[in-house]
Amino acid sequence: MNPDLQNQLLHAQTRRHFFRDCGVGVGKIALASMLANGGVPLAQASSSDTPAPPHFSPRAKRVIYLFMAGAPSQLELFDYKPKLKELEGKPIPPSVIAGQRYAFIQPDAAVLGPQFEFAKRGQSGIEISDQLPHLSRVVDELTFVRSCHTDLFNHSPAQLFMNTGNGVPGRPSMGAWLSYGLGNEANDLPTFVVLKSGGSLSGGSGMWSAGFLPSKHQGVPFRGEGDPILHISNPAGIDRNIQRDTLDTLERLNSLQAERTGDPEIDTRISAYEMAFRMQSRAPELMDFSQETAATLQSYGAKPGNGKAAFANNCLLARRLAERGVRFIQVYHSGWDHHSNVAGGIKGQTRQTDQACAALIEDLKQRGLLEDTLVVWGGEFGRTPMVEASAALGRSQGRDHHPQAFTMWFAGGGMKPGLAYGQTDELGFHVVEKPVHVHDVQATILHCLGIDHERLVYKHQGLNFKLTGVEEHHPVTDLLA
Amino acid sequence: MSNSRSHFRLASPTATLLAAVILLSQPFAAAAAGVDFNEQIRPILSDKCFFCHGPDPETREADLRLDVRQDAIDYLAIVPGEPDESELIRRIEETDPELKMPPPHSKRSISPEEIALLKQWIAEEAPYQQHWSFNRLEPTDVPTQADSKWPTGEIDQFVLKRMREKGLEPSEPAQKAALLRRVTFDLTGLPPTLEELDAFLADESANAYEKVVDRLLASPAYGERMTAEWLDVARYSDTYGYQVDRDRYVWPWRDWVIRAFNANKPYDEFVTEQVAGDLLPNATDDQILATTFNRLHPQKVEGGSVPEEFRVEYVSDRTQTVATAFLGLTLECARCHTHKYDPLTQTEYYQLSSFFDNIDEAGLYSYFTNAVPTPNLLLASKEQKASMSSLRDRIAQHERELAALEQQTPAGFQHWWDNARPLKPEPVVLKESTSALKAEPELVPGRIAHLDFEEWKNDKNVAVPGVKGQAIKLTGDDAVNLEVGNFRRFQPFSVALWLQTPDMKERAVIYHRSRAWTDAASRGYELLIEDGRLAASLIHFWPGNALSVKTKEPIPTGEWLHVAVTYDGSIEAAGLQIWINGQPAELDIVRDELTKNITGGGGDNIAIGERFRDRGFKNGMVDEFQVFERELTSLEVRQLHDGSSLANLLQQPLESLSTENRQLIEQYYRSNFSDAWQTKQTELQQARQKLCDLVDPIPEIMVMRENTEPHQTYLLQRGVYDAKGDAVESAVPAALHPFPQEAPANRLGLARWLMSRDNPLTARVTVNRYWQMLFGQGIVRTPEDFGSQGAVPSHPQLLDWLALDFMNHGWDLKRLMKQIVMSSTYRQTSRVTADDLAKDPENIWLARYPAHRLPAEMLRDNALAVSGLLVDKIGGEPVKPYELEDSFKPTPRSKGEGLYRRSLYTYWKRTSPAPAMTTFDAAKRDVCQLKRDKTSSPLQAFIMLNGPQYVEAARGLAERTLKEHPEDVTAGIEHMFRLLTAREPSPQERKVLEELHALNTDHFAANPEAATAYLDVGDKDFDKTLTPSQLAAMSVVASTLLNYDECMMQR
Repeated sequence: MNPDLQNQLLHAQTRRHFFRDCGVGVGKIALASMLANGGVPLAQASSSDTPAPPHFSPRAKRVIYLFMAGAPSQLELFDYKPKLKELEGKPIPPSVIAGQRYAFIQPDAAVLGPQFEFAKRGQSGIEISDQLPHLSRVVDELTFVRSCHTDLFNHSPAQLFMNTGNGVPGRPSMGAWLSYGLGNEANDLPTFVVLKSGGSLSGGSGMWSAGFLPSKHQGVPFRGEGDPILHISNPAGIDRNIQRDTLDTLERLNSLQAERTGDPEIDTRISAYEMAFRMQSRAPELMDFSQETAATLQSYGAKPGNGKAAFANNCLLARRLAERGVRFIQVYHSGWDHHSNVAGGIKGQTRQTDQACAALIEDLKQRGLLEDTLVVWGGEFGRTPMVEASAALGRSQGRDHHPQAFTMWFAGGGMKPGLAYGQTDELGFHVVEKPVHVHDVQATILHCLGIDHERLVYKHQGLNFKLTGVEEHHPVTDLLA
Repeated sequence: MSNSRSHFRLASPTATLLAAVILLSQPFAAAAAGVDFNEQIRPILSDKCFFCHGPDPETREADLRLDVRQDAIDYLAIVPGEPDESELIRRIEETDPELKMPPPHSKRSISPEEIALLKQWIAEEAPYQQHWSFNRLEPTDVPTQADSKWPTGEIDQFVLKRMREKGLEPSEPAQKAALLRRVTFDLTGLPPTLEELDAFLADESANAYEKVVDRLLASPAYGERMTAEWLDVARYSDTYGYQVDRDRYVWPWRDWVIRAFNANKPYDEFVTEQVAGDLLPNATDDQILATTFNRLHPQKVEGGSVPEEFRVEYVSDRTQTVATAFLGLTLECARCHTHKYDPLTQTEYYQLSSFFDNIDEAGLYSYFTNAVPTPNLLLASKEQKASMSSLRDRIAQHERELAALEQQTPAGFQHWWDNARPLKPEPVVLKESTSALKAEPELVPGRIAHLDFEEWKNDKNVAVPGVKGQAIKLTGDDAVNLEVGNFRRFQPFSVALWLQTPDMKERAVIYHRSRAWTDAASRGYELLIEDGRLAASLIHFWPGNALSVKTKEPIPTGEWLHVAVTYDGSIEAAGLQIWINGQPAELDIVRDELTKNITGGGGDNIAIGERFRDRGFKNGMVDEFQVFERELTSLEVRQLHDGSSLANLLQQPLESLSTENRQLIEQYYRSNFSDAWQTKQTELQQARQKLCDLVDPIPEIMVMRENTEPHQTYLLQRGVYDAKGDAVESAVPAALHPFPQEAPANRLGLARWLMSRDNPLTARVTVNRYWQMLFGQGIVRTPEDFGSQGAVPSHPQLLDWLALDFMNHGWDLKRLMKQIVMSSTYRQTSRVTADDLAKDPENIWLARYPAHRLPAEMLRDNALAVSGLLVDKIGGEPVKPYELEDSFKPTPRSKGEGLYRRSLYTYWKRTSPAPAMTTFDAAKRDVCQLKRDKTSSPLQAFIMLNGPQYVEAARGLAERTLKEHPEDVTAGIEHMFRLLTAREPSPQERKVLEELHALNTDHFAANPEAATAYLDVGDKDFDKTLTPSQLAAMSVVASTLLNYDECMMQR
């Protein structure tokens, strides 16, 4: 065989020595090897130790994904449909809804008008709800997509679909794919961090799973109380010095073992323990909001230690993680499933989230981070133009699940600011212009990070899997600056 | 195996394959005297060409297929002997992007080395071979290396031959101590004890090692170790999965597996019983229990889900699990389209799935009840079975006696007729409402409710003119609720009403006693319109545990009908009758298997016209709704319908009655007035109640049971549940060996086919998986994919020899394990020189033992074992160690011994597994998984250094040690070192540890409260007889050792 190739392969196999930091090097090699081979990962990776370039020039280095679990009503927030007001109380025309199915309502239910006033905001004149006074301020920074649609209409599968590209648990999530493809920027924090507020998540931990990717790519959930990362604190009675002594002893033992066995893998273990130690030092600093000015805390509405401000706290923490080089920050906020009293529900949720979302955009911008941080906001599907009401369930003036159309917004990271993209029909039922499928959303996010979604593949059980499934999907280039 | 290596393997799954092909292709070439199609050509064609020019006609471009030689030749794509004439080569070498293959947009490309191989292959006449794994297993000659004394058995002969072809020689044997540690973990999942270690070191007999192996294989821990791995294959979980992810009761199956491994059940029986134990002749409960294997897939409960969508999902999961676990085939892609790489059509996928599509199951489990999804097995004890049997005998006896009574004119009849029969001038007028029952004599006794709607106060349902006075017209969304109706299944009862349906209903709920439809699996009873017909049912869990009958004819629309449903308490469909206008309707029996309660779940009383998330009786009308706590007789039903039948008969002279009428009136008398009959009926009912009371609390477990009427399977277009294509029958893929002629076309036949001598796959897949278990990597490094996209075997002849040998020796698993661990290959040291490492970095050729990290379970079990905390108990319900309190959906930890059981008993919640397990790469158990990653990450360090389980275990180890060596620190350190590594520390190692100990002793002596705080971690109290500072210092050393490479690795 080609001796060069042979050398390259050998080199690739042995140069793990050089990657003392197990977080940094490997992902880059993964990408390099994919690039070298037209998408199918092969072993003869680039022979240089410098990180390989991505598929094309990335606009974003990291993502903050504000996932609004439960599915916010686009009709109360971003997709204004005065026609619904006109038709309120009348059954929706059968032609519109032929063949659709719903979780709770009958398909011939009556129309429910928008519950709030809308107005044009900013220079761009994008129309959004009066329930979003803070977001209204930053509308010109945002890219709205009103023509999102999905394949699934129950929470758990739809959330998994949005996070992993598949409705059944077991596939790698977007953050895991990016960790695999791009590696870590930080050497003292995980690549992929998960923050949660507002109640339980239907999709479960499958939403930040590494799936069939190596488990180190899975999202690390930061916990609401106690240690931000499981067992990151030393046990009671063990201080930092003892832990350091332990680690020093371990390193000496392991180095002796490396000599004894000739096994270079041991270096990887040593560096994992070193990174653990760095994370231990980093975590308290990361979580210490006292470094933030009162003005910053106030702008987010953040109140350290106060569960009622959990979302605002998480947004601020997300910015701090972004500053420290975390690649993918997934912020989940549950509580948007308004089958009844959608007006009251939206009011409650926007009160909890509007200010912090806007503050995050402004804060990132002011710190120069918005340029290379992609912020994503959205739920798992939309809500029906029809009312949901059921005496048996004690529901009225609500909206049911609606996979046919919903709105997401993006900011920074190479997206075109001040844009409203796509259109639904006058009832807000179907997308009529520029449909954007969930897989297109995912392809677009990867694109912003310099990755061709068709080339970020992983071979598993004989097949090349990718985040965006087997059907044809594309990044929406019209959205890019 | 740690981070980097696994990274390279996983980031580059074909690395192994390429290494085999590129680095080491010479010997292949030498052996095959040319390019080897299966080793070298198929992988290129498969990866680069078959997507558009392979087996799938749907995506085939330009009508060209390259997977069939003659087609490729006919097309002139390949001209044997003439690479330059072959279109295949021309197009690959083409520079015009319009013509180049693979087309640039496909993002596939062929390297110059690969092109050279293809050319050489065509020059050599382009021979094709069947894909290697589909070749029948034929006897393989064992090579001999006459000059070497190294081989112990056949395995070593094969391995040595390959090794030498690569210019490698075997390593030294491992040290005895290291070997004992290695084999003890491999066969039991636990470390050796010091006694075992000393005994082995002292045993100088020639077969000392073999004795150890035999001891380990005979130990009960062997079954636990083997089971821990099988749980990944079987996607075992203690919860259902999906969103709600409620607990389910499946651990008795896990204990079956432990017993099977420990009894060394031959692997063919082990598989046959799990796939089709229920179909074995005279299947025992244990054999039926084995089939829980097929039901371990995730199951759904979320409201609004379409049951059929998920039922189809379950069938697919079962099919794919069997294909992956036993055939090593990636069937999943054939679900939506014909496989692009392997010879499996979409039709064949559904033919195979048809074997698993014939059980009476629901697509959703029940949200409002804890019913076990059907079909299931009652896990009754011997005593319970005996009691059930004697109660059944007693019931049968009562039934016979009652039937005999019904053959005679009842005693007292004449007297009653003459003196006591209810004579009324007018038909009885039923006026009382539910709230105010009047105690007047009745023609039709036993009534407990009556709604006549005369004083109905309109809500959404409105009063309309009815049969008598007013009736009610229903919205379908609003129920009319009664305050009665919570009958148990042994109680006779009847419901009568007038109804009118405005149109032909596909589905409508007329009345029911239940909390919900699919959300409660219809627990209770109900009268529905289905496809225009009336259907009455008593239900524990729909569809598999219910009585249900349906009228043969649709009911007329737009007219009033009198409908009655009577039930005799017999718990049989024959005892359930629908009457229309006073006449028994002709019925089909839809279900006749009710074994558990119909009460519970909520919705205890009857509701009319609406049900939670079901379709109500929209615009239907109902009048004169009555409920009786007995089975009405025929005359009584007629009376309710026409208001005269019974009353008129009672007016007649007895002599004038026809024989038929005489019988009817006797029946009426018996049911209402005969003491003898009523006494017997009461005895019968009491016996039935006893049986129900006995059976209802006995747990059930999901198993397989074939439908009596076979369920038709269809091809589903694009895999979508409601896009039915052609009907298909059970069959196996044509590319594989034929289905045995004498075998039945069901799962049992399928199991016979799987375990057939002609099956090229199952034995290969199995020995490969166990090889992987013992060496960290399989001979085929893609254990789940033996198809053309999988890796090629590193030692094909060895794999074939082992597989055939395994079959020829009765699929004897303990023998296979022993055969492997006895080999010289297994007994080598894992130490490696830089030179050998460079020659074979991935250790494909096994010139040394392949070190790898212990799996999650063993890391934890090791810590528990050396600490003395491990609770040595086999089986039983899952336990909740500390880490479950830190999982995504936290659950309180067990108290006491539940914290210290082996890890295979750790409660597995699909959406929230123990983080300590998943951080160490435990399988997620969503689907069948045959291989785990072995990564190392900082999060693992946190668990091992700081997690309470490990902190407590380190302290336990230190306590043990201090008790054995109270004065001598050095001896104590050596003791711990030996427990964890099986060897003595080197002087340097000892020194490093002594230093750590000294530092900590000083520190804790100066900070006694820190020592106590540290020692207080965990539920178990620390030993107060020991000096806290000394114990804490020793615990830190123990903790350090638990994190030491040699403790975490299998070396």
